[in-house]
Amino acid sequence: MTAASTSTTTTHCPYCSLQCGMRLTGQRLPTVSAWEEFPVNQGALCRKGWTAAGLYGGRERLTSPLVRDRRTGEWTAVGWDEALDLVASRLREIQAARGKDAVAVFGGGGLTNEKAYSLGKFARVALGTSQIDYNGRWCMSSAASAGIRAFGVDRGLPFPLADVEETEVLVLVGSNLAETMPPAARHLDALRQRGGRVVVIDPRRTATALRADLVVQPVPGTDLALALGVLHLLVAAGAVDEDYLAARTTGWAQVRESVAAWWPERVERVTGVPAEEVRALAGLLGAPKVMVLTARGAEQHSTGTDTVLAWINVTLALGMVGVRGAGYGCLTGQGNGQGGREHGQKADQLPGYRRIDDPAARAHVAGVWGIDPDSLPGPGRSAYEMLDALGTPEGSSALLVLGSNIVVSAPRSTHVTERLEALDLLVVCDLVMSETAAIADVVLPVTQWAEETGTMTNLEGRVVLRQQAVRAPAGVRSDLEVIAALAERLGSPVEFATDPEEVFAELGRASSGGSADYSEITYDRIRDEGGVFWGGERLFAETFAHPDGRARMVAVEHRGAAEQPCADYPVHLTTGRVLAQYQSGAQTRRVRELPDSGAFVEVHPMLAARLGLVDGEPARVTTRRGSMAAPARVVDSIRADTVFVPFHWVGANRLTHDALDPSSRMPEFKVCAARVTAAGGGHG
Amino acid sequence: MGERLVVVGGGMAAVRLVEGLVGSPWHVTVLSEEDHPPYNRILLSAVLEGAHAPDALTLRSQEWFDEHGVDLRLGTRVEEVDRTAHEVVLVGGARVPYDRLVLATGAIPTLPPIRGLVRPDGTLHPSVHPFRSLADCRRLDAAVAAGRRAVVVGGGLLGLQVARALAVRGVDTEVVEGAEHLLASQVDPAGGEILARDLRRLGTEVYAGARAVRLHPRETGGAGLRLDNGHVLETDLVVLTAGGRPSTALARRAGLMVRRGVVVDSTLASVTDARIHAIGDCASHRGRVTGFVPPAWEQAGVLAAVLRGEEASYDGSRSVARLRATGLDVAVLGEPTRATGQVVEMSNPVTGSHRRLVVDGGRIVAAALVGDLSRVGLITQLYDRGTILGNAEPGALLAPERVDLDPAAVVLPDEAEVCACAGVTAGAVRACASYDDCRERTRATTGCGGCVSVVRSLLTASA
Repeated sequence: MTAASTSTTTTHCPYCSLQCGMRLTGQRLPTVSAWEEFPVNQGALCRKGWTAAGLYGGRERLTSPLVRDRRTGEWTAVGWDEALDLVASRLREIQAARGKDAVAVFGGGGLTNEKAYSLGKFARVALGTSQIDYNGRWCMSSAASAGIRAFGVDRGLPFPLADVEETEVLVLVGSNLAETMPPAARHLDALRQRGGRVVVIDPRRTATALRADLVVQPVPGTDLALALGVLHLLVAAGAVDEDYLAARTTGWAQVRESVAAWWPERVERVTGVPAEEVRALAGLLGAPKVMVLTARGAEQHSTGTDTVLAWINVTLALGMVGVRGAGYGCLTGQGNGQGGREHGQKADQLPGYRRIDDPAARAHVAGVWGIDPDSLPGPGRSAYEMLDALGTPEGSSALLVLGSNIVVSAPRSTHVTERLEALDLLVVCDLVMSETAAIADVVLPVTQWAEETGTMTNLEGRVVLRQQAVRAPAGVRSDLEVIAALAERLGSPVEFATDPEEVFAELGRASSGGSADYSEITYDRIRDEGGVFWGGERLFAETFAHPDGRARMVAVEHRGAAEQPCADYPVHLTTGRVLAQYQSGAQTRRVRELPDSGAFVEVHPMLAARLGLVDGEPARVTTRRGSMAAPARVVDSIRADTVFVPFHWVGANRLTHDALDPSSRMPEFKVCAARVTAAGGGHG
Repeated sequence: MGERLVVVGGGMAAVRLVEGLVGSPWHVTVLSEEDHPPYNRILLSAVLEGAHAPDALTLRSQEWFDEHGVDLRLGTRVEEVDRTAHEVVLVGGARVPYDRLVLATGAIPTLPPIRGLVRPDGTLHPSVHPFRSLADCRRLDAAVAAGRRAVVVGGGLLGLQVARALAVRGVDTEVVEGAEHLLASQVDPAGGEILARDLRRLGTEVYAGARAVRLHPRETGGAGLRLDNGHVLETDLVVLTAGGRPSTALARRAGLMVRRGVVVDSTLASVTDARIHAIGDCASHRGRVTGFVPPAWEQAGVLAAVLRGEEASYDGSRSVARLRATGLDVAVLGEPTRATGQVVEMSNPVTGSHRRLVVDGGRIVAAALVGDLSRVGLITQLYDRGTILGNAEPGALLAPERVDLDPAAVVLPDEAEVCACAGVTAGAVRACASYDDCRERTRATTGCGGCVSVVRSLLTASA
C-alpha cells in the first residue's frame, strides 16, 4: 500500500507504549499533525512524537546490507542476495557443527505484533532453536509474571487509560509518566480537577511528582516494604474489604498474617520514608476508589515480581480490582511492550501468550504452522542469561538481533558486549548503525515505522494499526521480508508470509484460544473502532483468569536489593529516562530537533558538597562492573543517598547490576551500589 | 540433623527464629506461656489507643505452625531445664527432650517499689495494670472509659505511648517519672523538656523527678498515688510501664552464666552450655541486653542460620527506637546520651524541636530527634549504613528543608523552559500572538498539558 505524495495517513508514534495516534502528510519530508479522533491521546503529542518524522530519510539511514571484515574492521556494502546467502550459510554451518541451539535470536518490544510473531515462528521452525528472547524481558516482565500469578493473565492495564480520571486516589509506583509518556499526564490533571488525589512514589521528585498531592521518596529497591507497610495499616484500620476478599480471592489469610510485622516505624527504617508519610499514604487509600499503577521503577529489580505482587495485594485487599475506575495496572514501557510479549518471542512462550511447555499449546500452534508438535523446541534461556552464555561452550555462537540495541540497553553492558564480541556470527537488523550494529558481522537495513504497516498493542491492550504513510528508501527491506528470505534459504519446512495483514490473520489463528486471543481482530475492525482491546475493554469485573475464577494473593517478603551500599560503594545508583530521548536513543539521538544533552549524574546538594561535585562539572560514577563520567546535575529533588543516571547513552548500563528476579528473570536495572567522585578534566 | 529443637517462649524473637527454620530438618517445638499465638507486642499501645485492630496483631496463626510442622504449645510453662538429660520439665512434670534448646523468654515487667501495689494476698491492687502482654492490654482496655483518670508510672518510650493512647481514648492521664526528665535514658534534658511541654499541651500532666511511693486504696474503688514530693494523685487506674528485666530465672536455675541476661557468644550460644541458645530480651551479648525488637530479630536470623549449618555470627546491632505515640515525635538512634563524638545540635524551643547528632569520624554514631522528624528517613539510613559524611552535612541534615517558591509569583526569564514536552521557552511563548498561535507555532501545551496555565498567563502578561 503506497500513499500518494500529498495524501494524509493516520498512524501511530514510533516510540512509547502509549502509541499516540498521529497524522502523517507528504512523502519526501513528511509532517506530523494531530489526529484528534484517536481516543488515547486525542491529538496530544510530546516532542518526540512531533519530531518523529525527523528520522525519515536522514543521512545516517542504512540503505544497503553491510558486511564487516573482522580482520580490518572494514565495512563492505553488498547486495541483498549476497548478504542473505552469507548469513544463511553461516547459520547452517554453525548449527551443523554445534547443534540447533548454537544460533540464538534476540527480539524487541518495539517490533510490531506481526514481526514478533514471525520472529518467534522463525526461531522455532526455520532455525529449530530454543534460544530466543527479547528486550521486553528487561522492561515489564516482572509485572507480567506478577499479573499471571495474581490474575491468571497479563494485560498491562486491564482497563482504558482514561479510567484514571474516574478514580479517587491514584498511586503511581516508580512511574515518571509526565516525562516518559507526557500525553498520559493529562489524565492526572483531569483527575485532580475532579478532586481526586495523586500519589507518586519515586526516589526522585520528578516532573510527575509536581502533579502529585503526596510524594513519597523511598530508598531504591524498597517499594515492596512500603507496600507491606501500607497493607499493614489498612488491616490495622479495618479498611480492607472482607466481603470481596472472601468472594473473589484466595490466600488472604497468609497475606494478612505476613503484614502484621510491618508496622510503620519498621517500614521507615527499611525504606527511609518517615512513618508519618506511610500513615498519610495508607490514610489516602481509604477512599472509595483507589488505583495503583506500577512502572519500571518498581519492576526492574531482582525483587520486581514480588514488589508488584505486594502492590496487587493492596488493591485486592481494598476490593478494587475489577471495579471501574479502580484496581491495579502496569504502565508498559516499549511501543509494543504488550503485544511483543504475547506472540512468541519470549523464551518460554508460543503465540497467544501460551506456554511452550504446555502440550496442548504446542499441538495447537504446530497445527496452525503445519508442523509436527514434537519438532518444536522447549523453553530457552531468558534474555540476560542467553547473552551471558554467548560464546561459551554452553551458549550460542551466533546471534540474530531485531529491534534491539543490546550494547546500550543490556545490564552490565561491558560484560555483555564482550559476550557479543565472542560470537562467531552477529547479525543485526536495524535502520541505523546502532552501537550493536557497529560490532556486527552483517547488518541488514530494514524499514522503520511509517514505511511499513503493522499492529501494535498499546499499554491498555488496545491493538492499533500503524499504517504505512511513506515509501521506504530504496535498498531497505522489512523485517518480515528478511525473516521470510532467511527461512527460505535455511530450508524451512513452511513458508513465511511477508504481507502484514496476512501475517496478522495467521497470528490470529495461532493465538486463538490462548490467553491473549487476537482471532476476532482484523485490520478493518481496528480502523473502524479506534483500536480493539483483546479480551475486552475492561477485565476482571466478574472473574479472574484462574480456573477457579479467583485472584490469588501471594504472601511476599522484603529482601532488598542484591547489592547494598558499603564503604567502597556508598551510594545507591538508579537509572531512568529523560523526555527528549527514547530507550537506547538509536532513533531519537539522530533526530535533529531533539536536544541530545548527553548523560548526566543527578545528585543532591548535600551529597555534591560531600563529594566535591559542582553542577555542570564532570562526575565519575563507578560500580563493581564499570565506570562512566558525565556532568553533575545538582538538584534537591533526589534523595541525598542516591544518584541517578539516564540510560539513553552508552555508560549507565556499564554500571548496572545483573542480579535477576527469580521469577521474571528481570535484571536489577534500578538499583546498585556506586561510588561517585569529581572526575576533573581529562578523565571524562 | 532432623534433631529436636525446643524453643522456650512464644514472643517476637521466637517466631522469627521459627520462620527462619522453615524447610530445615529441625523438628521444632515452641513452648509459650501465653494463650495467644505469637503476636506483635510492640503494637499493643496502638491497640489500646484504638488505632490497630486487636485481631490484626497475630504474627503467625496456629494453622501456620501446623502447616509447617511446628509443635506450638500455648499456655505451657517451663519449670526446669535438665541439662544432663537434655530435657525441659514442664509445670506438672511432663518432660520435653531437646537436642538444642533456645531460650526466648523475653522480659518481665518490673514492679516499682510502691507500697500498696501488691495486696497482702500477693495479687496486684485491682487499679494496678502492668502493660507487657496482650492479656495486660485486654484487661486495661476493659477498664478504660472516657472521663476516668489514669496515672502512668514510667516516662520511658512505653510509658509515653501508653499515656498518649489513654489520652486519645479520653482518659484523664498523668505521667510520673522518677528521673529528672522524660525518656531519660534516650534524650537529654532539653529534649525531655520539649516532650513534657508537648504532653502538657495535649492535656497530660507530667511529674518528672518524682517517685510514686505509696498506693492508697479508696472506698470508691480508685486509689490515691502518693509521690515522694508529697503530691497525691487521685486516680482510677495505675499503669506500670517502668521497665522490665530479662526473664532469666530458668537459666539461673539451670546453672547457665547469667549477668543481666543469659550470657551468649557470637553464635547466640550460652557460654556455659553450647546446646543452649538465648535470643531477644533475655540474652546478654557483650554485656548488652537490648530490649528492642529489631536486635532480637537480627539475633533470631543469625541463630536460624547457625542452626541451618551456615556460617553466621552476631556482631551486635544498631538500634533505632521510635516512639509510636500520636502527637509526639521522637526517634532515638543508638545511645545519644552516652555515645562519644562531636555533638551537632539544633534546638528550637519556639517550635518545639530538639535534635542532636553524635558524629564520630564523619559517621553518625547516635542521634536523638525530638519534635521534628522531617529527615528521620535519611538520617536513619546514614546511621544504619555507617555512611561517612562531609563536614557540612550533619549541620545541613538539621537545617530546614528548602521551601519551594510559588511558581506563579516568579517572573520567568525568557530562557526559562515552560513546556518540557515541546521544549518551549518563556521567550518563545511571549513572542506568540495568541494561545492558538502559540500551540500551532511552538507546540507548547500540546503534550502533557501541564504548562497551559503558565502559557496563558505569559500571553496575558505580554499582551
